Amino acid sequence: MADLQTNTTSLPAGRIQRHRLADRLYHWVMAAAVLILLGSSLLPILGWKFAWLDLHWITGLVLTVAVLFHIARALGWQNFWAMMIDGQDLRDVMGGPKAKSGKYTLAQKLYHLAVSVLILAGIGTGLVMLRKIDTPFWNRDPYWFSDQGWGAIYAIHGFAAMALVTMILIHVYFALRPDEWRLTRSMFRGWITSKEYRDHHDPKRWQAKEEAAQEEA
Amino acid sequence: MQLFRVSRSIYGGSDIIIGANYDLLVWFVAAGAVAIVAHALYKAFTKNHTGH
Repeated sequence: MADLQTNTTSLPAGRIQRHRLADRLYHWVMAAAVLILLGSSLLPILGWKFAWLDLHWITGLVLTVAVLFHIARALGWQNFWAMMIDGQDLRDVMGGPKAKSGKYTLAQKLYHLAVSVLILAGIGTGLVMLRKIDTPFWNRDPYWFSDQGWGAIYAIHGFAAMALVTMILIHVYFALRPDEWRLTRSMFRGWITSKEYRDHHDPKRWQAKEEAAQEEA
Repeated sequence: MQLFRVSRSIYGGSDIIIGANYDLLVWFVAAGAVAIVAHALYKAFTKNHTGH
């Protein structure tokens, strides 16, 4: 355990890298984009009228680029499998709350999976919906799909947006809980302490030192 | 409460779905609130019974 005091990154002793700067920036860009997208789409429905369309589609493109960046990071630089649900996660459920997790708990993996589906559904349908508006790059063409087809696309987009409201409420709640504060701090500053690592994570499942070295390579 | 917003065809056909019914937004907010309260109660209950 002593080697945990000397992380391979430039962190001070006693700190374990959890999120690198690029990944933290992605998280906050995505958060800002999603909040702007939800605000620019739902506030007018709730009665706050303003010119929302340009803000909405441009922010949607920003989110699309950010998600592509995240996917590339996950596939090429991060430990992709750290976020995948495995058999040990399911056995941990039977082990009770004292079972230590890998880098992410089963609940975090399920949350990530749900948000991934919703975000990708929103992006996919949103990109298609761009064909129905004039932009500096193209003129609208509302005849790509039948009325029923467009209806289905708009419905998926709308349900994804409303479900994201639910997910964001839950996410903010957990981020503000004192017993989860280490994770919130790590999304700002990048690290957790060695004690937090030992208390909450199984070093066999999250080999933080090796992972940090691999990401640096 | 309907799941979808619908529009009647100008040609007299059946209703056409034009999107999600945003009146459901309050239910999505409520679902988040219920999950939060349920978890907070669970944590408070288990804390009192484990002494942590």
